Amino acid sequence: MERYQRKPGMLPKSPSVPDFHGSTRVRNINLEMKRNASPMLPSWLPPQGTPSPERPSRLRIESTYMDDDENLSFIDLYGDEVMSRKIDINDDDYEKDDVRTNDECTDYPSSSRVGSKSTVATFSDSNLELNTDYGTRTGSENSESLAETVNHYVPSEHKILIDPDGIYDRYGFKKQSNSLSEIAYNRWWKEYAPYCQRRKLKWKIFLEKHKIQPQNSQAIPSKFPDKTEKLKRYIRKGIPGDWRGNAWWYFANGDDMLKKNVGKYKSLVDQVEMLIQSQTDEKYSKIYMNMEIIERDLNRTFPDNLYFQQDPDSSKEPRMISALRRILVAFSIYNPKIGYCQSMNFLAALLLLFLEEEKAFWMLVIITSKYLPGVHEVNLEGVNIDQGVLMLCIREYLPDIWKTIESTCETTAYHNAFQSRKSQFKNEFLFKLPPITLCTVSWFMSCFIGIVPVETTLRIWDCLFYEGSHFLFKISLAIFKICEHELLHKRHQSRIPGISTPNPSKYSKSHGDDADIELFQLVQSLPKKLLDPNDLFEKSIFKRIVNFNSLGQDEIDRCRKYVMSQRNKYKDFVDMMNKKQTEKDASVISTADGKSSDSSRYDVSVSSSEESIMTAEDLSEVLMRETYGFKRTLTNVSWNNIGLKSRVRQIRKKKDR
Amino acid sequence: MGNSISRALGKLFGSREMKILMLGLDNAGKTTILYKLKLNKIKTSAPTVGFNVETVTYKNVKFNMWDVGGQERLRPLWRHYFPATTALIFVIDSNDRERMNEAKEELYSIISEKEMENVVLLVLANKQDLKNAMKPQEVSEFLQLDSNLKNQLWCVIGSNALTGKGLMEGLSWISNNTNKK
Repeated sequence: MERYQRKPGMLPKSPSVPDFHGSTRVRNINLEMKRNASPMLPSWLPPQGTPSPERPSRLRIESTYMDDDENLSFIDLYGDEVMSRKIDINDDDYEKDDVRTNDECTDYPSSSRVGSKSTVATFSDSNLELNTDYGTRTGSENSESLAETVNHYVPSEHKILIDPDGIYDRYGFKKQSNSLSEIAYNRWWKEYAPYCQRRKLKWKIFLEKHKIQPQNSQAIPSKFPDKTEKLKRYIRKGIPGDWRGNAWWYFANGDDMLKKNVGKYKSLVDQVEMLIQSQTDEKYSKIYMNMEIIERDLNRTFPDNLYFQQDPDSSKEPRMISALRRILVAFSIYNPKIGYCQSMNFLAALLLLFLEEEKAFWMLVIITSKYLPGVHEVNLEGVNIDQGVLMLCIREYLPDIWKTIESTCETTAYHNAFQSRKSQFKNEFLFKLPPITLCTVSWFMSCFIGIVPVETTLRIWDCLFYEGSHFLFKISLAIFKICEHELLHKRHQSRIPGISTPNPSKYSKSHGDDADIELFQLVQSLPKKLLDPNDLFEKSIFKRIVNFNSLGQDEIDRCRKYVMSQRNKYKDFVDMMNKKQTEKDASVISTADGKSSDSSRYDVSVSSSEESIMTAEDLSEVLMRETYGFKRTLTNVSWNNIGLKSRVRQIRKKKDR
Repeated sequence: MGNSISRALGKLFGSREMKILMLGLDNAGKTTILYKLKLNKIKTSAPTVGFNVETVTYKNVKFNMWDVGGQERLRPLWRHYFPATTALIFVIDSNDRERMNEAKEELYSIISEKEMENVVLLVLANKQDLKNAMKPQEVSEFLQLDSNLKNQLWCVIGSNALTGKGLMEGLSWISNNTNKK
């Protein structure tokens, strides 16, 4: 806490800066000093020297909504534009740096800290007007407006007012979790809330330019511009919280679904009510079974969320829980092929926080059919296919972590079925999925709910509905990439030369087990710490140089088809091998039974088993030959060079002016 | 770096590692038990869709505990992933008398699998704090382990994941009843 109170005092480091430059100047110098002090700056920070000319124009830009392109003032290392530094990342840079300085301040001689106090006063005075968009929450008005931006969430019928400084976040989730403390959350939120505000402002300008005027009183748009690169970028930077419901609905084509099914949900709900009351009809035994399972999960869905908690003053069930029950039971009637599968409770519950009940239901239908086809079905084949696809992607794009994963795969007995062959099936892991998929299964089934902190989950959902299901693979790869980094780092640390273990063979075995556990724990716990969506996205998604960013929806669709057919072939192959085995056993028995028994029967069984060997061999041949080739693009070449140059020219021109 | 040193020391002083699988029907309290043991905290837990793995160290023994989602539909996902398991903890919701049969069936179908042949079985009769809960004795009788499990070491312990009662006893029973190598 002390840190926050002291925060304004920490900003300007240099006491000698004259006041006439205004606060901006102070901040810039401050930034450079810090740059010297800490070599570990994030890669997206601009090179030194550039920021200074832009600062003074801040106010002008904000007061008159100027053309957006005017703001395109910086291009990062990777040819990706760092959004308008004046309003956007720029502020983030400063904010982040401020926090960093807090940590580092002990390194500075105390004299400079004492001296800085006078500058602080001038800084905060001259900065008063800036405060609104800095959102540093110094004034009470400001915090109110912040609360407003961040509190309009839940469809109004359920709404609870949440104190942003309390223990719950703006969606009603407890800020604290097993992996994160409330202090860490608040520290992050202090930077993130102004970011959300700025993004919302940019969104508003963007929509205005496309002549989209929100109709309703809350100024929440229900229509969005056509798909463009710019819109994609805006979405990747996050849809404003209170617009999310509408935006998801729009991009997932919810209206089409609803138009085709007018009144359907209501009739389903009527049926649900009827079933709840009667509970006897034999015909519906399967639905009752699902209802029982649903009932067990209802109170365990988001137990940390305010909206799903029992109000201690009333004995009535929280309205969200009742709505959740209706949706899930209605769904199990609507789609008996899926019925109810754990994790759908999370999907429906999160949807309920952003959409009204009927829309939430249809979104659930859309998610389970369009975005996650087959994933929740009884045999779970869909999710297994997706795991296969993910493993293929990891093998292709993250070979280092693939080595670790591969080492955890077991090889099975039927490899040895053909003694003559040395080679193995290269793609066996598509059928016998590596154990790590136990972990990643839940990423797909619950669409990252509960896997990453909620703000990150929502950002993923934003992109999922706009970009399609391949985004789930992309983000999974992004997480694995961070894991890879951590893992290699850890390994590097633990490798000390000169210490040999007493029993090398034993050591290597237990080491293998350890690597196993190490990987599991990392993949399980690391995502839970990804509090800041910007951080995750900037590390990979926004970098064109990261190879898996070329992964598109068509590639994933192709991949899914491939994995599906491979899995089917393996299944056939295993069946054949098993059949062969049983026939062999049978023939052994028949010969043991007595040599006098019918010899012709014996011949038949031999020939049939030979036949199956042939086909199994053919199949194994096929399985060994078929490999999947990813479309390779020249990932390291930026085709945007011309654009980049012209943008640099633009910046220069602006500087000269 | 501390890793390999402690491993080397562990070899000298006889610390052990074992893989423990925690199973049971959904809503039995597996995840709550895991995090009570690991963090000594009650985590309001949601249904586990994938699995949780944590290492718990108790009296020189490092337990790698695997807690897997219990819903019937999700069981095929993990069925084939557990060779080399030292011990199986089967968690039972002692308060849910209606599903006792289901739990029993599930337990037998697991231990009849080949990989589970040499596994030490600990049954935790969880939720002992609830009034209507079956006592460990009753659970044990209901499961008929006595007559059905001749070649396996087993034990039923009453537990309460909220207070942690019975959990440590369970772990020390496991560590006392597995071979010291």
